[in-house]
Amino acid sequence: MKIVARHDEAPGVKTMRLEFQDAADHEFFKETFRTGMFGLYGVYGEGESTFCVASPETRKDYIECTFRQSGRVTSALANADIGDLITFRGPYGNRFPIEEFHGKNLLFISGGIALPPTRSVIWSCLDQREKFGKVTIVYGARTVADLVYKHELDEWQKRSDVDLVLTVDPGGESPDWKNRIGFVPTVLEEAAPSPDNCIAVICGPPIMIKFTLISLKKLGFDESNVFTTLENRMKCGLGKCGRCNVGSVYVCKEGPVFTAAEVSRMPASDL
Amino acid sequence: MSIEEQYRTRAKELLSGGAVKMVIGYGKGTTPSRRRPLFITSPDDVERLMLDDACITNLSGYLVSEGLLSDEKRVAVFLRPEGIRAVNILAAESQLDAEQIVIFGFDVSGNEVQALKGIHVEEFSDVIRSIKEGAPEADEEELFEKIEKMSPQERFSFWQEEFAKCIKCYACRQACPMCYCRRCIVDSNQPQWINTSSHSLGNFEWNIVRAFHLSGRCVECGNCDRACPVNIPLRLINHRMAEEVLGAFDHFAGMSKTQEPVLASFKKDDSETFIL
Amino acid sequence: MTKILFSDKLDKCVERWKSAGLTVIGPVQRTNISTYAAVDHAAELEFGLVLPDRSIKDLFFPQSEPMLRYTIKKESINTEECLPPAGPRIIFGARPCDASGMAIDDPLFGWDYKDEYWFQRRNESVIVTIACTKADDFCMCTSLEMSPDSTKGSDILLRPLAGNKGWQVDELTDRGREAFRTIADFLHESSEPLAPSAVVENKFDLDACVTWLKNPENFESRFWKEISMRCIGCASCTYLCPTCHCFDIQDEGDTYTGIRRKNWDSCSFALFTMHTSGHNPRSTQSARWRQRIMHKFNYFPGKFSVNSCSGCGRCSRQCPVDMGITETLQEISKLSL
Repeated sequence: MKIVARHDEAPGVKTMRLEFQDAADHEFFKETFRTGMFGLYGVYGEGESTFCVASPETRKDYIECTFRQSGRVTSALANADIGDLITFRGPYGNRFPIEEFHGKNLLFISGGIALPPTRSVIWSCLDQREKFGKVTIVYGARTVADLVYKHELDEWQKRSDVDLVLTVDPGGESPDWKNRIGFVPTVLEEAAPSPDNCIAVICGPPIMIKFTLISLKKLGFDESNVFTTLENRMKCGLGKCGRCNVGSVYVCKEGPVFTAAEVSRMPASDL
Repeated sequence: MSIEEQYRTRAKELLSGGAVKMVIGYGKGTTPSRRRPLFITSPDDVERLMLDDACITNLSGYLVSEGLLSDEKRVAVFLRPEGIRAVNILAAESQLDAEQIVIFGFDVSGNEVQALKGIHVEEFSDVIRSIKEGAPEADEEELFEKIEKMSPQERFSFWQEEFAKCIKCYACRQACPMCYCRRCIVDSNQPQWINTSSHSLGNFEWNIVRAFHLSGRCVECGNCDRACPVNIPLRLINHRMAEEVLGAFDHFAGMSKTQEPVLASFKKDDSETFIL
Repeated sequence: MTKILFSDKLDKCVERWKSAGLTVIGPVQRTNISTYAAVDHAAELEFGLVLPDRSIKDLFFPQSEPMLRYTIKKESINTEECLPPAGPRIIFGARPCDASGMAIDDPLFGWDYKDEYWFQRRNESVIVTIACTKADDFCMCTSLEMSPDSTKGSDILLRPLAGNKGWQVDELTDRGREAFRTIADFLHESSEPLAPSAVVENKFDLDACVTWLKNPENFESRFWKEISMRCIGCASCTYLCPTCHCFDIQDEGDTYTGIRRKNWDSCSFALFTMHTSGHNPRSTQSARWRQRIMHKFNYFPGKFSVNSCSGCGRCSRQCPVDMGITETLQEISKLSL
């Protein structure tokens, strides 16, 4: 796939837009891809790295991915330039059942670098805005600099049909920060969205998910109306290499999208 | 009273009085000839401890298990002289505080087990000195001499054949008390120093790098050699490196807990034969 | 009357198979190691082993396997898939546990996405198994609903005749029958006394273990920590295991040309599941040992209706600290009483 656009999101975090070089591959992607699925992005000589498709299922002319430069592969990806070719294997995994969300209020909760999978769902819904009720987005990061998709956050903030709650961890605020300060679960409880006819989608580091689930429970959300996506280390994406399972569940095949009810049945210490 | 009984009694005393929180020793294994590492924390369990000529594994590596010594409590451990040398190196390399280690020293000659007198590492310096001065065991010398006599080409083919068996299970590394790195060089990939693949190049890279990392540090306990599931005679490589370091720097690994690591220290009269 | 292959005819069979284009592979004793390897003559085969140190898995799923070659030029990337070297093979003298190990892994490699590397080799191999007449302290096939003369995964089962005279031939599959048709003139129709089968004592109560493992409460049991305390975290059990199938994918080469490889990997290693963030779902050795046991006797059978263990006992036999599946399941059997 060819890199057609790239920009910095936050320190060490980049977004790239990729276009297909092969019409048949693109056709396959268009037929298969649904929001929530992931892929293995690769640079020959360095290897492959797993992350979600950050673009929505309503925009399939390209793939967008957002990643933090940390390992060997992501460093190579970060160093790739516009016009360079990289590989994409996928899309793999299950999806968010967006049709089931029709007519419902949506609550998106996300932390730090975990906004990309949520963003895929957010745009998939906003691109057919009329099919959903109230849309609330709660997004937090450690510091203001760590917030990703800043231009889209601005756009969402301006939209009257989206309620955006932004927060940074205490100490992470800048002098001109006008939004909230506090951890995502706390801010969520303060915002107190109603669980009535509402679907919640949460993505974040394991620790954030753990506490957010507790907060959602307090707010009266039913576990079956809460969706999340797990991102475990993967090599094959095909259910064979043997490392992504949580208990008996293979994240690559049976996930990455799970309801909180499904997650609560998994052994917590394997997450 | 046999040494096994003496040590059981001592273990019971130390555990009951709270002088040590754990005794690391040997217990019954799957077959009559096997002993397995055993961790005793209750004075009621000391009868499970065994001590005989089948107690071969060097247990010192367990002392650097994550978190074991972090509460500053003492741990007792059954050690042969090589294990005691290993504790000296671990202390010299700041991996543990030798004050926390209570030693149940023993040695085996023939199938006779002898107790080694002492509790703390520094009390065994005479034993270690006598090993340094003593001749290597005859059976090992034979294969060693055979390899020494080979031409470089023959030696290369010998090791090529041996390393071809390697499956990179890293049992050698995991069994070695000196391989305590939390992230081994083979697990680092920025840059990828060593190919992770188990092909001829990757196997050579791994085994040679390991030999270098152990030079001047290996106590020749044989844990790697015995752990190797494909029976590569790793002891020969380490023995050769130990001889090299002894000849060049008069350094015998694990003499004391204050001995400076040979490749991390410099003396004015160090041999400089490698500088052309 | 049954088909008999006398030992003294084996060399002729090897010759015949070779001239028919088959690579003949069997148990051999090399310097300090026994394994399965290609041979030219029957004399090279070693039938006296309880079982070779290395498992038959290596012949189907090698420790390092090239998957593709890449060449990067200015405007394009060329890739070339590296399928295993083609060619029919006959594996003569596999042990029943090794042969069944391959059958156990078939559904995994065929699950959803079919692994061509595995199935090409599977489809090109005839497995001729020799039933066991001796066992050691570590053999445990009978505890896993198998036996010293299990036929699972085999194309032919040979039952040794008394006095090492040869074998009684049980043809099990078409592939096996076809391979033996080429040597039909070396087979005899007679009835010969068989050597007594190996006796492998039952070592644990598998059903009780599986029930215990399936109980979610036991996932957090102190047992896991206690049983794995001496585990040093090497991969010798997983790499010698005929059914352990986990792998890593690694690129080797430079910016312009190189190979993408599939290498064995092991749940014993901390790095196996480590996230980029540093978070590790299985951060302790006890969690990793639990994963290995759970995978073999709970998760794998949950998906494929078969335990991922063929009872060869290599894990215990070769363990540097005398651990293994047998001991763990024996202890679980005691807990379930």
